[in-house]
Amino acid sequence: MASAADIVLQIAKGTRSAAAVLAECKMLIQARDPDLNCFTAKTFERAEREAAAIDALYAEGKVLPPLAGVPYAVKNLFDVEGLVTLAGAKINAGNAPAAADAKIVARMSRAGAVLVGALNMEELAYGFLTENHHYGITRNPRDRSRGAGGSSGGSAAAVGAGMLPITLGSDTSGSIRVPASLCGVFGLKPTYGRLPRSGTYPFVNSFDHVGPFANSVLGLALAYDAMQGPDPADPACARRAVEPVGVSLSLPRGIRIGILGGWFHEWADPAARRSVQLAAAALGASEWTELKSAEVARAAAYIITGAEGGALHRPRLIQQYEDFGPSSRSRLVAGGLIPASWVIQAQRVRRHAYSEAMALFERFDLLLAAAAPAVAPRVGQETLLINGRSIPTKAGLGVLTQPISCIGLPVCTVPVWPGEGDSPAERALPVGVQLIGAPWREDLCLAAGRTVEQAGIASAP
Amino acid sequence: MTQTHDNPLEAYVRAALALQGYTFDEAEIAEIVMQFSRLDAIARTVFEWPLPFASEPAPVFRP
Repeated sequence: MASAADIVLQIAKGTRSAAAVLAECKMLIQARDPDLNCFTAKTFERAEREAAAIDALYAEGKVLPPLAGVPYAVKNLFDVEGLVTLAGAKINAGNAPAAADAKIVARMSRAGAVLVGALNMEELAYGFLTENHHYGITRNPRDRSRGAGGSSGGSAAAVGAGMLPITLGSDTSGSIRVPASLCGVFGLKPTYGRLPRSGTYPFVNSFDHVGPFANSVLGLALAYDAMQGPDPADPACARRAVEPVGVSLSLPRGIRIGILGGWFHEWADPAARRSVQLAAAALGASEWTELKSAEVARAAAYIITGAEGGALHRPRLIQQYEDFGPSSRSRLVAGGLIPASWVIQAQRVRRHAYSEAMALFERFDLLLAAAAPAVAPRVGQETLLINGRSIPTKAGLGVLTQPISCIGLPVCTVPVWPGEGDSPAERALPVGVQLIGAPWREDLCLAAGRTVEQAGIASAP
Repeated sequence: MTQTHDNPLEAYVRAALALQGYTFDEAEIAEIVMQFSRLDAIARTVFEWPLPFASEPAPVFRP
């Protein structure tokens, strides 16, 4: 499918109608989704109304909004008017349909985007796979014997399969960046508090972020700009004016880029290291640095995640334990038992890690690290072997993303194709690279992503 | 399942489950004890990290 920027241009020039774009999108979904299981609901009637409204604006000679006629879909934890917000969980299936769209879905509609459905995810966003006990496995569009990653697996796979140019997801510990890496698409996790979460199903209030996936960096930028702005309904949403990045993304001269070693190198296998090397070369980066608190920041994130997630779901864990998936319910209950002293200490560690990162940003404007420790694992694969060390797949896929979301930094993840691996199948798979900025510098993250994309190193074919 | 008096972690889990209103069979408790032992191991990393005494937690409430 064409990129969002190309679709906007085609519709503005009148070479295609929004209805024609939607018709192609529906055909692609109907042809490809049965094999991958990305969608849990389709909103084609709404999409036809939204596309017709764009075509009417064009016919009337009116100015078109910035995402006019661009089809997209959302992880099924976003409220969509008339749909039940599942968050991947059976316990939500009996809830009333949402009365209104989530704030950022409403903003996408206002920008002219056309909503075609809701997408599969890991149950309650707790895990880096989308092997959902209730709604099935979302498979990887690059190799269907492998998983899409998670928790926003349907969002990443739908873009990777060419069904859509843009989708929305959420990222608490890596749930945009990990599936973007595994499925070979672009993803943006903005600064914590940049985009409003009102009307989304929560998991860990301290870490929950929302953001876009796209088949191009410009697609990320267009969606990101459309969704920005304060929102009193989300207490974490920053009271900042919209700071549009626009589409003329370019890196300033003399930008200082550090390559993260230490934890981020140790937990990157040869393919992940090669991806970082290729991205660094495209950006002219050669200096290594270290975030020494990465390991403890990840540990702090684990404790806070367990405690907040466990507390959030406690009432229904007591009443409906059997209705939770077997891979999440005992983890949630255990998290709810975490003593307050552990949580307070984890929050103190988090503050310390943030301070260390801010000191790094006095020396560097951007930091580079792999987004996943390896290429996509096979469906059902229990462990990852990274440089001779074994780690459980479900938790280990986030080993490189969790320290960064713990301290809320913005990250653009770009899909790089390292050509490394033990088999031809593995050598054909991507590993994403995180382009990490200081708080509120999404503009630099996206500009770096655009540079790597234009160099031909990152692509979402 | 070990005797709880030999295993403070298991004793804690059983007591905390009761305090929070959960009722589970022994197999489910064993699974939760295993999950909590993983959290306990991770928490040790958090407590071993040297922090200044006066360091503040991350969230700050701004009315």
